Amino acid sequence: MIKFPALDRKPTQSKGERPRWSARSRRNFIQGMIFILPWTIGFLLFTIYPMGMSLIYSFTEYHPRQPLVWNSFENYVRMFSDTLFWKSLWNTLYMVVFGVPLTLLASFICAVLLNLKVRGQSIYRVIYFLPSIVPTVASTLLWLWILNPQGGIMNTLLGYVGIQGPNWLNNPLWSKPSLILLGLWGMGGTIVIYLSGLQDVPVNLLEAAELDGANWWQRLRYITIPMVSPITLFNLITGMIGMFQYFAQAYIFRGTGGLGAPLGSTLFYSVYLYQQGFQYLDFGYASAMAWLLFLIILGCTILLLKMSERFTYYAG
Amino acid sequence: MSTFTPASNIPSGKVEGLRRLSKKRLVNFIKSLGSHAIINFVGLFFLIPFLWMLMTAFKSNQDVFHTPPRWLPYDNVRVEINGQRFPLYQVQTPDGLRELAALKIESGMGTFVDPQNPSYIIETEIQHGTLTLAKPIMHVSFRWQNFPEAMQRGSRPGVGASFWVYFKNSLIIAFFAIVGTLLANTPVAYAFARLRFPGRDAFFVLVLATMMLPYQVTMIPLYHLFNEMLGWGNTFLPLIVPTFFANAYDVFLLRQFFRTIPEEMCDAARVDGASEWQIFTRLVLPLSVPVLATVVVFTFLWAWNDFTGPLLFLTSPDKFTMALGLRDFQGQRTMVWNQLMAAATVFTIPIVIAFFFAQKTFIQGIKLTGLKE
Repeated sequence: MIKFPALDRKPTQSKGERPRWSARSRRNFIQGMIFILPWTIGFLLFTIYPMGMSLIYSFTEYHPRQPLVWNSFENYVRMFSDTLFWKSLWNTLYMVVFGVPLTLLASFICAVLLNLKVRGQSIYRVIYFLPSIVPTVASTLLWLWILNPQGGIMNTLLGYVGIQGPNWLNNPLWSKPSLILLGLWGMGGTIVIYLSGLQDVPVNLLEAAELDGANWWQRLRYITIPMVSPITLFNLITGMIGMFQYFAQAYIFRGTGGLGAPLGSTLFYSVYLYQQGFQYLDFGYASAMAWLLFLIILGCTILLLKMSERFTYYAG
Repeated sequence: MSTFTPASNIPSGKVEGLRRLSKKRLVNFIKSLGSHAIINFVGLFFLIPFLWMLMTAFKSNQDVFHTPPRWLPYDNVRVEINGQRFPLYQVQTPDGLRELAALKIESGMGTFVDPQNPSYIIETEIQHGTLTLAKPIMHVSFRWQNFPEAMQRGSRPGVGASFWVYFKNSLIIAFFAIVGTLLANTPVAYAFARLRFPGRDAFFVLVLATMMLPYQVTMIPLYHLFNEMLGWGNTFLPLIVPTFFANAYDVFLLRQFFRTIPEEMCDAARVDGASEWQIFTRLVLPLSVPVLATVVVFTFLWAWNDFTGPLLFLTSPDKFTMALGLRDFQGQRTMVWNQLMAAATVFTIPIVIAFFFAQKTFIQGIKLTGLKE
C-alpha cells in the first residue's frame, strides 16, 4: 500500500473492542452501506467484473464475437517468444529507468528554484506550472512541431549555440529522449508537490544549521533532501506507475507512421497491448499482457517501498 | 589619563565594518543575480513552447515552413486592384527592381501588374537558375482567420463534422462527468469521513487499493461490456456513466476535506435530531464549497484531457471529442501546422482560463491528492 502523507492514520475504534452486531450497529452498517452504494456498485461493475473477465480472457483464445477457447497458459508462454513483446517491455523500462528519475531530479531542482525568495516568484511559479495543464494531445502535437526537422524551432535554437540537433522524430535513438523532454515540459504537478514539501521543511532547522556554519549545499544535502524523501518516494511510485502505462503521448507521437514508429522505438507496453487488443482483436493475449503489467507494477511498487525504508525519513 | 581614543581608530573600525557590509551586499547581489538568471533560463524552457504554439497559430501557410523559422508571423503585403486583393512582389524587370502585384502564379511563371499603373503588365519567371526574379514582400501580420478556419473544418475531408462539433462533444462529456462525479463521490466520502459503521476501514482500504489497478486490466472487458452487451458503442455513455459511480481519487480528496469540518458541529446537529443525510446535505456540503470546486475543476480537466477513453469508444467523427479530433486532424492530413496549432490553442484555452480563475484550487487539489495529469 502506498503511504499517503496526508492520510490520517489515527484508529477510529479502540483495538480491543470487537464490533458487536447489536441492532444499533446493524442499523449503522446499513446506513453506511447506503451512503457508499455508488462506490460499491461501481466497484462491482467497473472493477471486479472486468478484472475477473480479463483474468478469464487471459487464459483463453478470444476474439470478439467468437467463442472463448480455453488455452490455459498459452498466452503467457507466447509472450516469452514474442520479440515485439520484449521490445515493448524494453522500451517501457527505458522510460521508467531514465525518464522517471530524470523528471524527479528536474522537478526537485525547479522546486528549489521556485522556493528561492526572488522578485516575481509567483509569476515564475505560474510559468513553470502552466504547461502541465495543457491537454496531452495538444502538448504532444506541439512538441512534434517543435522537434519537426522542417520548420521546427528546436534545432534552430540549438543551432544558435552551435549544436547540430539530431533528427528527433525519425531517429529511433532520439524518439524516446524526445518523449522524456515532452514529459519534462509538463512536470508542473510534480514540481508543485515538491514545492509544498520544501515549504514544510522547518525553518528553524535550516537556520540552526546555518549558524553552525553549514553552507547552502550542506543544508540542502543533509536537511532538505532527507526531509522531502517521503515526497520523493511518492513521486517515484506514482511516476513509475504512470510510466508503465504510458500510452497517449506515444500513440500521437508516431505522427502518420504506424504504432511504435519510428522503427518500433515508441512501441511501449501499453501501445503494444492496445495494438494486440484493438487492432489485431486478440483479446486473450492483450488480457494476459494486462495482467502481467499489473503484476509488474505491483512488484515494482513493493520493491520500491521495501528499498525505501532505508532512504526515507518520516518526521514525527 | 587620556579619555580620548585616538581619532583614527574609530573611522578605521567603521570602514572595516562598512567594507564587510558592502562585501556581504555584493555577494548577496551576485547571488540574487545568479538565481534570477537560472530561474529565467529554466523558465524559457517552459515558456518558449507556449509562445511557439501561439505564434504558429497566427502564421500564414507560406510562412509556416520558412527556413530559418521566424518567431513572428509574417504574411504577404497585399494591394487592392479593382476590389480584389493581390500579394505584392519585388520583381526584377527590364526597368529595374519594381514592386508589382502578382495576378497569377503558375508553374514557375508569374503575371505581375503595377498597382499604380494597371496597364503595365509583365510576365516573368519566378526563379531563373539560382537567381530569384520575383520575391514576395512580407510583413509581420497576425492571421486571426486561422482560428475560425481551423474550427470550421473537420479533421478529415468530407465528414461533415467540424472542430466546433468536437468542442461541443467535449463540453457535453465534461459537463455530465462533473455532475456524476459530484453526485456519486460526496455521499461515499461523507460515509468514510464521518459515519461509524462496521467494516468502514476495510472498505476504505479497498477504495484506495483500486488506485493501484492499471486501466489496461479492465479496459478490454469494459469495451466488451459497453459495446457488445449494452450496445453503447459510439455513444458518450461509456465515458459518462462510470463517472456516476464513485472513484478512489475523488473519494479520497473529499474525505480528507470532510474530516477537517469540526465533529462537534455534526454532533450538535445529531443531538438536535438531524439524520445523517440531513447533516450531510445541509451542514457538510454547504461548508465544502472549496473542495467541491476542486473536484469540479479536476473532473473537467480529466474529462477534457482524456484521450484513451474516446479512442476506445467513439468511432464516427461526429462523436469525436477535441482530443480525438486533434489527433485525427494530425493523422489524416498533410500537416497544416498553423491550423493544427490554432485548434490546439482553442483546445487549451478553456483550461488556462479555468486555471487563472481557480489557481488556488488547482494547487490545493494537487497537494491534497498528488494528482497528476
